[in-house]
Amino acid sequence: MLAPAVVLIPVVALLPDLVHGGGFELLADFAQAAFSPSLDPLVVGSALSGLGLTVGIALLGWASSGVLGLGLALASSRQVWTTSCALRWPADLVRRLLALPRSIHELLWGLLLLQVVGLQPAVAIAAIAIPYGALVARVLSDQLDALPDGALAALRASGVPAPQALLTALGPPLLPGLLSYGGYRLECALRSATLLGVFGLGGLGTELKLCLQSLQFHELWTGLWLLLAVMLLLETSLAGLRRRWLMPRRLGLAGPSPGSASPGLATAPAQAPGSGRSPAQSAPADAGLGDADPARLRSQASRPAQPGLPNPLVPVAVPNDGLDVDAGPGGWALAAKTATLGRRGREMVLALGVLAPLLVWLARAMAVNPLALLSWQPLPNLGGASWASVLALPWPQLVGATLLLTLIAAGLAVGLAPLLLLLTAPWPWARPLLQLVWALARLWPPPLSALLLLLLLKPGLVTAALALGFHNLGILGRLLLEARDDNQAPAEAALLGAGVGPRLALFYGRFSSLARSYLAYGAYRADVMLRETVVVGLVGAAGLGSQLLESLSAFAWDQLLALMVVYALLTLLGEDLSDRARRQLLAPP
Amino acid sequence: MPPAPAREPAASVSSLARPLADLSWLELRQITVPGRARPRLDRVSLAIGCGERVALLGASGAGKSSLLAVANGQLVPASGSLRWLGSPPARPGPARRRQQARIGTLWQDLRLIEELSVQQNLNSARLAVWGWPRALLNLLWPLESDANRDALAQVDLGAELLGQPVAALSGGQRQRVAIARLLRQDPELLLADEPLASLDPRLASEVLQLLLDQATPRRALLLSLHRPDLLVGFDRAIGLRQGQVLFDQPASAVGPADLEALYGGEPP
Repeated sequence: MLAPAVVLIPVVALLPDLVHGGGFELLADFAQAAFSPSLDPLVVGSALSGLGLTVGIALLGWASSGVLGLGLALASSRQVWTTSCALRWPADLVRRLLALPRSIHELLWGLLLLQVVGLQPAVAIAAIAIPYGALVARVLSDQLDALPDGALAALRASGVPAPQALLTALGPPLLPGLLSYGGYRLECALRSATLLGVFGLGGLGTELKLCLQSLQFHELWTGLWLLLAVMLLLETSLAGLRRRWLMPRRLGLAGPSPGSASPGLATAPAQAPGSGRSPAQSAPADAGLGDADPARLRSQASRPAQPGLPNPLVPVAVPNDGLDVDAGPGGWALAAKTATLGRRGREMVLALGVLAPLLVWLARAMAVNPLALLSWQPLPNLGGASWASVLALPWPQLVGATLLLTLIAAGLAVGLAPLLLLLTAPWPWARPLLQLVWALARLWPPPLSALLLLLLLKPGLVTAALALGFHNLGILGRLLLEARDDNQAPAEAALLGAGVGPRLALFYGRFSSLARSYLAYGAYRADVMLRETVVVGLVGAAGLGSQLLESLSAFAWDQLLALMVVYALLTLLGEDLSDRARRQLLAPP
Repeated sequence: MPPAPAREPAASVSSLARPLADLSWLELRQITVPGRARPRLDRVSLAIGCGERVALLGASGAGKSSLLAVANGQLVPASGSLRWLGSPPARPGPARRRQQARIGTLWQDLRLIEELSVQQNLNSARLAVWGWPRALLNLLWPLESDANRDALAQVDLGAELLGQPVAALSGGQRQRVAIARLLRQDPELLLADEPLASLDPRLASEVLQLLLDQATPRRALLLSLHRPDLLVGFDRAIGLRQGQVLFDQPASAVGPADLEALYGGEPP
């Protein structure tokens, strides 16, 4: 579990060479400014309006990706196609086609759309909606196809038309996973919206970047603290909703990919999709960081008497309905027995009813005009694409640097999270501190960390990797912390009782059981990082990403096209690799 | 339902006056389903009239499940013809669905929707008749509680179970809910594949009695059984061996010799 941290050694060895003079004072200023953010009404006002825009973009982008994703999920589900017209190939076709929008990072979509249609509020929203929609479609269709189809076949055999049969037989089992995943996507959308802002698509990100570039640290922190507050508010309220609706708890460490995970967690039977059209929109619940394996969830839910092996990695949800429920692994089964059905379904419909007008109002307030996306600006004359110049790009270096960047960043993020947890284990104040640091790392867009690091370091691959790694460290760290908080580890308690020190007890007693799924999640995260290398491209000399941004600003469309294709191929390859790694790690020993 | 003699179909049930030969509720003619080593069903012919209670006997692997799968339209035979309630299966579409809505199956694994309440599961039997709006509403609101309460009462369950999630029920309750769901579908042909296989003896005889009680004059019943000692209460017994019909006679006439021929010499 700590092995990836080995990457620290070369990085630390390289660091002194990278440090250039004079950065430390600036960095100290930056740190001090955290305690005295500017409270000037003008600054606060502009930060608030920027924040409003960012949240608006995130919400609208998330909602449209939900609608888009749900529709595409149905279109790419084998189960749906075979049930409704006994064909399978259309599902596979749609699935293949969706790989392309999925493999391109939302930032690239944003910049591309920006070039094509100009600066519009709809650009940022579409930039989020397109790749997210494709991602949601893949995850949901995988979940759909993994559901047991006995009940569906039974309904069909008694003459029920396909749509109603699909809705009744597959809707309810799909819902918990759908909502959990939808909630997680909303958190991601907020981060993405901030990131898009950094690249000039509007909102708080733009302001943060301007503040940083002009070294206005006090104003910078005003925006940062506000963003942090919104993010934590969102995360807690999603967690609250998830508990209220008895949705599966964060399943991140249980395995991020459908079909590869084995969460030892039984979902409570979920009532009622909010509506057949867009449950994703209707009800955000918190956040399986990954995707639950609904088939497994269901199979456990259907056997409430069997508690299953308590998997220490998988947090067991404790409903807070005032029900007499034990927090042990059997908790869910009990909850399933006593929870009142119906109420949740109606609440979800209500949530949808509140959310829909809110989104419409938001779209109006932001003057979003989706049609603007269709009115393309005249494209610069492509002329004869000069394939010679495309071929002249140093492809091996670009690809190599991108992969190296991913590896270093992944090593840093995956290795440091447990290391820091271990180092700080004995100190009582370590937990809140780590929580704060990790929250900051999550919300701090990687290009901003990169800019900040540039105050201290020379531009280059390691700097970019540090920025990227720091951001993902925030995500992994939070996951690990929650996994530790949510489970008792008898082994750790036993070791502590035997007089073993707290660090060693944590290491042997807890990490040993967490390791496999943590690393599996790390593999998934590495795949995400590969996609994200583009966002730290602006630090320079860092692979395909920086070349891409360069080509984009030079309007070298032929290069851009080639780069995007290579990027997409690389991402798909990485996805496949990380899928394999995950399956290997999660396979029962 | 006016009482009528068991073998005589009530005239009101079938609006068309058909020749008597066509009045079988289920008719298989020369049905063959290929298998790996030998056919799973080998030129099987049988006819079941309305109001009949028929037991299907045979060792495991004799083709009972295949026969029932052909009977409810799940399995399309390689050759032979099938008639439901006097007419051949329609092509997939609304007409076919109307036919299938009249055939109810009690699945061995019950196939209840775990995430839904008892009420919603019972209502799922009406989906073939209901349109979209009610299918959606069923997931949100309790619908047709009275009819569901009646159905539960017929299987000796209390109305307090209506709001319970199916996942929270005991094994016996689940069996009864599945039967109550069939009652809500109100099929004219009721098929059951080994409905008693995983039940303890007491529960098995209770469930069997429940099923036998469902054979009204206008409804035919075909159950596959693995225990010949439960034949009491059936009108007819059909013995299957290696995909072929070995005997087809009144249940009371099944003797030890028949059973020996049916089960004897079979690999376990």
